[in-house]
Amino acid sequence: MSVLARSVGNAFRNKIRTAAVVAVLAVAIGLALSMLVANQAVGAKVQELNASVGTTLTVNPAGGQGFEGGGEPLTSADAATAAAVPNVTSVVGTKALRLRTETTTAGSTDPADGAAQPGPGGPGGQAASLTTSLVAAVDAGTLGTRNNAGNSGSTAARTFTLPITATGIAAEVDTAGKALEITSGTGLGDYTVAGTKALVGTTLAEKNLLKVGSTFTIADKTYTVTGVFDAGTAFGNNAVYLTLPEAQALAGTPGELSSMVVTVNSMENVDTTKTELQEALGSGKADVTQGQRNLETAVASLDSVKGISLVAFIAALATAGLIILLIMVMLVRERRREIGVLKAIGARNRTIGLQFVLEALVLVALGSVVGAAIASFASGGIASALVSSNSAAGTTGAAAQRGPAGGLPGGAFPGGGQGGPFGGASQLLTSVTANASPGVIAAGIAAVFAVAVVGALVPALLTARIRPIEVLRGE
Amino acid sequence: MIEVKDLVRRFKSGDRTITPVNGVSFEFGKGSLASIVGKSGSGKSTLLSLLGALDKPTSGDVVVDGVSLAGLPDGKLTEYRRRDIGFVFQQFNLIPNLSALDNVMLPMEFAGIRKAARAQRARELLEQVQLEPEKHTRRTNRLSGGEQQRVAIARALANEPKLILADEPTGNLDEQTGEHIIELLSSLSRDHNTTILVVTHDRGLAQKTDRRFRLQQGRLNEEVTAGK
Ligand SMILES: Nc1ncnc2c1ncn2[C@@H]1O[C@H](COP(=O)(O)OP(=O)(O)O)[C@@H](O)[C@H]1O
Ligand SMILES: [Mg+2]
Repeated sequence: MSVLARSVGNAFRNKIRTAAVVAVLAVAIGLALSMLVANQAVGAKVQELNASVGTTLTVNPAGGQGFEGGGEPLTSADAATAAAVPNVTSVVGTKALRLRTETTTAGSTDPADGAAQPGPGGPGGQAASLTTSLVAAVDAGTLGTRNNAGNSGSTAARTFTLPITATGIAAEVDTAGKALEITSGTGLGDYTVAGTKALVGTTLAEKNLLKVGSTFTIADKTYTVTGVFDAGTAFGNNAVYLTLPEAQALAGTPGELSSMVVTVNSMENVDTTKTELQEALGSGKADVTQGQRNLETAVASLDSVKGISLVAFIAALATAGLIILLIMVMLVRERRREIGVLKAIGARNRTIGLQFVLEALVLVALGSVVGAAIASFASGGIASALVSSNSAAGTTGAAAQRGPAGGLPGGAFPGGGQGGPFGGASQLLTSVTANASPGVIAAGIAAVFAVAVVGALVPALLTARIRPIEVLRGE
Repeated sequence: MIEVKDLVRRFKSGDRTITPVNGVSFEFGKGSLASIVGKSGSGKSTLLSLLGALDKPTSGDVVVDGVSLAGLPDGKLTEYRRRDIGFVFQQFNLIPNLSALDNVMLPMEFAGIRKAARAQRARELLEQVQLEPEKHTRRTNRLSGGEQQRVAIARALANEPKLILADEPTGNLDEQTGEHIIELLSSLSRDHNTTILVVTHDRGLAQKTDRRFRLQQGRLNEEVTAGK
């Protein structure tokens, strides 16, 4: 019989109490582990978000985001200037086109309804408007109807559909600079030459019964679908991508860009690069914005979840330690006389102390096994509950931020443009998957044991102060 | 081999001071069975706890084989209890959830004796105190009082101590079982050449011991009775 065997035996001396203690410990440990798993998952997500989308800047023509858009359009020369700024790794120019469905405007071939729509027609009026055979996949909704009604000033009873956004891109990325997720077919190949190939969003493809190889028209020119992409949002998928030169040709403005997405080499350089880029392009000429501003809200809300889960982890850990401390103090008091017996027959203080610490660890080990089981079932739910309750606040903030943009006619652009990445962000928020990875669980259990040792050490040291004469108590 | 020199133990409870041991001196040779009698509360247990280093005297000293306990640190006193003393208590004081064998092996474990050796010796000791083999592995809280006390005596003998201190070992046993225990102690003191000091208020049992002391008003007097 060793000290360990004796400790194990002692841990089960009162089975009902042991079960109760283990249950309480398991809840505390399970909670601690869940919080740790949530913390790790959210932390990883924040890192991923920062790494993937936190390093892009969006350049728009000065005033291009206001209602009264004006100023000069961006040009290929501006793209070259931007590319020359230190720490810039890539510059992707885009050219946006507004497409209106031919059939809905059967009678309205008048130019007022066509390309010549001023300011409200998009960001600073720079989105050229063309006819298309496509039908928008998104209902206009209240905002869309209001905007369109305001625009045309003609028959109020007319039903409107939202315009479709066609964007010329110089690389296989969306308007926010994120790589396109092509779900069927292929990309456009060379994005630097004009051509009649096009990528369509999933919902738009569904609505118009388009498949890879199908054709449609823009300004009476026929385009072939080479691929279908999924942007993750309804607005984002109500879009067409062409090559940049093709879009510029369609708009009749070769060399002009609606916006540029500038990628910076690292998170730390984003702020300085933003300033330098603004200087290089001239503040009267272009507005440089951190394209993923909305993601900052997402990251901030995730960061607060991370903070909450860390605090909860520490609190649950401390609770587990406190439970051990109190239980062991109780056991030491209860076994005063027995400790006196052990001392009377020659046990050293450290032998007795070790026996009690080991007994505590046996209880913690049992609690950890049950707690880890609880955590592996509960952590996913706990993490998403934490994230969703927190992102609710985040979404409200973002909606307010989106308000003015959404108020623009054709809320899909740039409202949709901003809504797109935000939609992506809220998706990212909810897609935080808290997998109870063995490594994290092991680290958590190590922390639990460390706390338990500290918790058990106090009562173990108390045993050293019990005098051997206690053995005669009550005789 | 054991010299007790002017031992005093004083207790202060509130404003009252009790001195159950008040200047006890005696000497004790090897291999004898001695008894201390005295009224309840006369200080017998207090004296025994001082001899066994469970408690420290207010003044005076216990010298064992030339080593003075008064000068020893706690760690050395633990070692003294482990190596030189075996206790037998009125309440048996076994570890209730351990088997008889495990209880007897405990002091040997504390002394660092290898597992096989201590199991072997524990079995021998339990045979010597006449505990039936099938009860060796039984938890001690499932043994009768007499059986428990025999296990306790085996445990006291485990590390071959110089002195066994038995505090009313028959106090919780019926008369017949008590007699058996005293006979056992008597024969063990002969076989093991161990000094055994038994505290009892049973005069009949005391008659069976080689030397008899009486504790009265804090002082110990040897009773000299003719014949034996
Ligand atoms: N720790 C203590 N504090 C105060 N008084 C004590 C303590 N231990 C023993 N006494 C007192 O000393 C006296 C002797 O006790 P004890 O040695 O147990 O007597 P006996 O064993 O002879 O019955 C008693 O009056 C008892 O109350
Ligand atoms: Mg007594």
